[in-house]
Amino acid sequence: MQLKGEMSMLNVLHIQDTDVSEICSKLEQKRDEAPQFFMQSPIVIDGSELSGNALEFDFSALKQGLLDLGFIPVGSRNFPPAANNLMRESGWAIMRDQQSTSSVSKSEPVQKNQVKDSPVEESKENINTAPQTNPVAVMKNQMTVDRPVRSGQQVYAENSDMTVLSPTSAGSEIMADGSIHIYGALRGRVLAGARGNESARIYCQSLQAELIAIAGRYQLLDESDTTLKGKPAMIRLDGEKLVIEAL
Amino acid sequence: MSKVIVVTSGKGGVGKTTSSAAFAAGLASKGHKTAVIDFDVGLRNLDLIMGVERRVVYDFVNVINGESTLKQALIKDKRVENLYILPASQTRDKDALNKEGVESVINELKADDFDYIVCDSPAGIEKGAFMALYFADEAIVVTNPEVSSVRDSDRILGILQSRSKVAEEGGTVKEHLLITRYSPERVEGGDMLSKEDIQEILSIPLLGVIPESGSVLQASNSGNPVIMDKESQAGQAYMDVVSRFLGEDIPLRFVEPEEKKGFFKKLFG
Repeated sequence: MQLKGEMSMLNVLHIQDTDVSEICSKLEQKRDEAPQFFMQSPIVIDGSELSGNALEFDFSALKQGLLDLGFIPVGSRNFPPAANNLMRESGWAIMRDQQSTSSVSKSEPVQKNQVKDSPVEESKENINTAPQTNPVAVMKNQMTVDRPVRSGQQVYAENSDMTVLSPTSAGSEIMADGSIHIYGALRGRVLAGARGNESARIYCQSLQAELIAIAGRYQLLDESDTTLKGKPAMIRLDGEKLVIEAL
Repeated sequence: MSKVIVVTSGKGGVGKTTSSAAFAAGLASKGHKTAVIDFDVGLRNLDLIMGVERRVVYDFVNVINGESTLKQALIKDKRVENLYILPASQTRDKDALNKEGVESVINELKADDFDYIVCDSPAGIEKGAFMALYFADEAIVVTNPEVSSVRDSDRILGILQSRSKVAEEGGTVKEHLLITRYSPERVEGGDMLSKEDIQEILSIPLLGVIPESGSVLQASNSGNPVIMDKESQAGQAYMDVVSRFLGEDIPLRFVEPEEKKGFFKKLFG
């Protein structure tokens, strides 16, 4: 038996009001635009934009509605804790609260022919399913690694920035919820902002990484046209694109 | 205080057994009671390299299973005082090894006043290699100047520092880099990784460099550890390695390309 942390793409349904039948009918329209894509797709419901009382929300009806439409309800997040019992009784798995990693804003309709204030807003996101227990807040802690990170090793700084004082080897993986600083050569895979923090950055003294990622947006270094390979570099996220700049 | 030293690499065929045999023989020749154990159950070679294959009666697995005593299985070397060999089983496989059994053999050797217990690891990162490194205080990581070997050495270093007994108890296994099959001419020509390149990637202290040498094959064939061939460069390099390990400060030899003699120099010497 093996338990591994993975990044997976999940659809997130942002619930804005409590009318379940309205939500389901809008979702049905959306689904019919790309039935192959949405059929049997896992879906998470997000309550961060909910106006209205979560305690009046019929979670059971929504779950059944989603199943009927061919979605797979995976879990719920960002609902007020007062609604937890209600969600559990309806069979919803409560996931850790998490910021949306999508750049779709509320005022922008997802689809051109959708009504502007639609109760349904759907976004594609990367959700990191690595083991965690706390909601993402300000980066409080600092994790320091003072030994080389060897091929095949994975290091994860939960809820914090990471500073590595030795080089990292090809085939290693460094992940942090915050930023990552490497005072040495960066050779393996590096994933900053692992739980969706788009302001996280990556700093290194010699950029030789295999794969770089911030808040789920990733890039193979070989596929980026940067002149900074082997040089001190800083990587940040600009919208959806990773930007590599000289340090 | 006995020290357990594992000779490991991850990659196969880089010179672990050759190095274990030479290193153990070198330590013993300097007066330290040394045992060298073959952990490659099922594919044993240490006995061949040391020339004792016809003297194997009992082996490591027999001792673990209580089918023989350690004294019955240990083979005393006839050439070097203080040197003892514990061969592996040829008929069984690595599943025959277990932590308790290995620990009890090592403890018995320590109780018998062995100064050094050299564990010749098999290739890979599974059970045999894991058993060989688990009880180590120090590790000699044998690496060829070649990309796959360097990466595999890196991997085994990670395993050493996270899953050895010393690591589980919060300590650090002392790491030594031993580069084998080094050819200074090819390094100069740009074909081969230099010792500096390897050190930069692996970040562990360099114990020594053994040059590529025909004497290694001759040594295996004759069943005499190459360190006993005082004329060969490899043998001398291994002697340097042993001395360095024991604390002497010896400069690296055989790491510069041999001087190419010009036409006139060849004529007039």
